[in-house]
Amino acid sequence: MLEKGKINSLQAILLMISMILPTAVLSVPAITVKSARQDAWLSIIVATVVGLLIAWLVVTLSLRFPGKTLFEYVEEILGKIPGKIVSFFYIWWFLHMNALVIREYGVFLATAIMPDTPISVFHIVVVVVAAYAVRNGLEVLSRANQLLIPTTVLLATVFILSTGNMKLSRMLPVIDTGLLPIIKGAAAPASWLGEIVTFAMIIPYLNRPREAHRVAALSVLLVSFFLTASILEALLIFGPNLTGAWIFPVFNAVRLISVDNSLGRLEIIIVLAWVLGGFFKVGVFYYAAVLGSAQWLELKDYRPLVLPVGIILVALSILIHEGIVDLFDFLARVWPPYALIVFEAGIPLVLLLVALVRGKGGRKNA
Amino acid sequence: MRTMIALLLLLFIGIILLEVPALIKKKMWRELVAFSVYLLAGMALSIPQVLGVKLPNPTKVIEVVFKPISELLK
Repeated sequence: MLEKGKINSLQAILLMISMILPTAVLSVPAITVKSARQDAWLSIIVATVVGLLIAWLVVTLSLRFPGKTLFEYVEEILGKIPGKIVSFFYIWWFLHMNALVIREYGVFLATAIMPDTPISVFHIVVVVVAAYAVRNGLEVLSRANQLLIPTTVLLATVFILSTGNMKLSRMLPVIDTGLLPIIKGAAAPASWLGEIVTFAMIIPYLNRPREAHRVAALSVLLVSFFLTASILEALLIFGPNLTGAWIFPVFNAVRLISVDNSLGRLEIIIVLAWVLGGFFKVGVFYYAAVLGSAQWLELKDYRPLVLPVGIILVALSILIHEGIVDLFDFLARVWPPYALIVFEAGIPLVLLLVALVRGKGGRKNA
Repeated sequence: MRTMIALLLLLFIGIILLEVPALIKKKMWRELVAFSVYLLAGMALSIPQVLGVKLPNPTKVIEVVFKPISELLK
């Protein structure tokens, strides 16, 4: 066993929330509102259904192979060489997704808060901290996350404080634009919720794997709840036109909060939640890429790969996009089909079907 | 730029000194090869960028492959 740690179900739920939520809150509202307009909350409902289906798919697949991660059972299902090829693509996907997350993290900090700092500084800082956490293993990562996740609750408090600026009439008219824009708007949040696929790397290290279905479903539901809250936060304050035009509408909405002219500038709470959450998000995907690589190459220890992968991540995060416009265009149009069709739904579905047909895994082998 | 290159090389030397002696001591050759390949990949991605050489961008390939679907999302 490469990873000796065990985590409990609560830690797993919290880790999955930290893994999906941070970039979702900042990047998704603008993308979804742009196509679904004031019906963006309906898009999130559609996306939640997709997310729950993916969660069910991944957990069902993983539970057929107790104690094995995605990279181990791929080879059992497809055979050695096809399995290695699929694993290679998953390692690429984890690295690519992580590079994108690091880029979003850097772009947000550089554009919204510290415009004079070179963006690579943020990339290097977050990767160095994440590398330390990943080297210490899954248990350390999830315990640190459990300790720091209350910042997400602060986020909810901030949203409640801004209810004074909201007008419910900005959600009207309902389903004015038709069904197609709602489904288009659901693509981005669905691809974010589909990141629950990464749970396949963590299921073998749950102390009660039987609860995995509940863990995955609860994580998806909690993330959609926070995602809906943050979309409504921006939408009810700015209406669909402004929300769609901004890159970080939630950040701008929180900026407006002023309680009795004395309590203001609460956006720093969003930044706090984002910096901490972003670090855990980077950490989980980093861990998945490193552990996956070690299992792919059949190594005895994954720790020697941590630092080289960190260098690849920083270099890749700078290389993949020219600037912020390029990045968000990719996230809105290319990322959803790329992630959703291939890695989040497509390959797991094929794996489950092949496993059923070939009779691999399941109770009789357990 | 010279200082950047020097810092980068120093970082690589530091990583090698941190990981390699333990791997050799424990005779973990497979791990050593994997470490070297990943580190070389990291070098190949980072050094040209510091030197200002344009590397091929993997994102462009993905954009071309998924173009028919991403047109629908416009």
